[in-house]
Amino acid sequence: MLPPYVLREIARNGSPAQRDAAMHALASDGTFRSLRQVTPPSGAPGMGIRGALDPEGRKRRTIYDVGNTQNLPGRVARAEGGGPTGDAAVDEAYDDLGATYDFFREAYDRDSIDDAGMPLDGHVHFGVNYTNAFWDGQRMVFGDGDGELFNRFTISLDVIGHELAHGVTQYESGLDYMGQPGALNEHLSDVYGSLVKQYRLGQTAEEADWTVGAGLFTEKVNGVALRSLSRPGTAFDDPILGKDPQPAHMDDFVSTFEDNGGVHINSGIPNRAFYLAATALGGNAWEVAGRIWNATAIDPTLKPDTGFRRFARLTARAVASLYGSGGPELRAVREAWGGVGIDPT
Amino acid sequence: MRLKFRTEGGLAFFPGLRAPIEIDTSELREEEAAELVRCVEEARFFERPEGPEEPPHGAADLRLHTVTVEEGAHSRTVRAYEPIEDPALRALIDALGALAKKLGRTRRTHDAEEDRP
Repeated sequence: MLPPYVLREIARNGSPAQRDAAMHALASDGTFRSLRQVTPPSGAPGMGIRGALDPEGRKRRTIYDVGNTQNLPGRVARAEGGGPTGDAAVDEAYDDLGATYDFFREAYDRDSIDDAGMPLDGHVHFGVNYTNAFWDGQRMVFGDGDGELFNRFTISLDVIGHELAHGVTQYESGLDYMGQPGALNEHLSDVYGSLVKQYRLGQTAEEADWTVGAGLFTEKVNGVALRSLSRPGTAFDDPILGKDPQPAHMDDFVSTFEDNGGVHINSGIPNRAFYLAATALGGNAWEVAGRIWNATAIDPTLKPDTGFRRFARLTARAVASLYGSGGPELRAVREAWGGVGIDPT
Repeated sequence: MRLKFRTEGGLAFFPGLRAPIEIDTSELREEEAAELVRCVEEARFFERPEGPEEPPHGAADLRLHTVTVEEGAHSRTVRAYEPIEDPALRALIDALGALAKKLGRTRRTHDAEEDRP
């Protein structure tokens, strides 16, 4: 087996066939190489000292080109350490999966989707004029958009963060993808997606735009993004797409069988609660509000069937264990939930 | 042949795209109608399982397609999550998607304004 630096050289300078072979080797070799790198010394616990053992992290990205088919996985287009390809979707997926990995590692000491160095596989150019992005349980998949209403789905860092975060939820609480638990699953992906962007831009809660998917719509669409965490229901109002259906308060909760019981609709309610908490606390949203929500997301008592009220209670409990009960943090979180009509006590 | 086509789910919910598109092949141009009939036959539509197969554990933002075909006394509804690997079903859904885009905009816009979730 060739060492990775040689493979990378071939991937950069070889013929197309050599390049493909080198890319595949780099992608598949990563697993074993990094297992060797992180084998803990005998007697050392596996958890809790990852940072000390492996300060650079174990970011292992592979971006596949699905070639405008729906047949996954597609051809390896860029593997960890490979240089830019000139294909915008490939390079955006590579860079933004990296930014999302770095965010989780640096802000919450999380090592990838499963907190155990799981490789990050992104698949671009999925389908023909495909207007969606999804997490299929093991990888992230992005369409090119139709060029009419939607640009390519790798264009927004927060969308890439959103999809990766679905993986995090799968490995943590496993929130059911239906009804209120499903809306919380969506909510956590929106929160993490927005925080990844704020973190990379170095924006405070005041400065952030609090949207998910800005830049995804073409100029023909009357809208700024897929969703707004600060003002749910205002992200778009378009003759073709319709009006942003998200409620911002329990009074407007939408009961529906569509969209898995409104998972992308009612997520507006906890989204706004997070925004209210983050802006009340001030500063960088990922530092205090984000830490509280992340602690809740990884709380083992967050069960798959958790609804809004129990989730709110768990955030309050997370505040108490992180910051105590007497400070401004608990007040901010309680008032945030109260502001959307949910009692967190 | 009458067909009904609807796509749900995905990364966001767009009320304007929620209404099903209904197509009567007698109202289509001849070649469009022939293409749809061919796709239905090649997908062996009336023998397909109704579905949908459960998506993988933990999956999110997947789109779900619902296709109904009525022909004479026969009617069948098939539901399938993406990705759709069967090329014949894929071709039918792509053809319906293209027609939906072409035919459906005005109707959908009208529906969406009257009937929000």
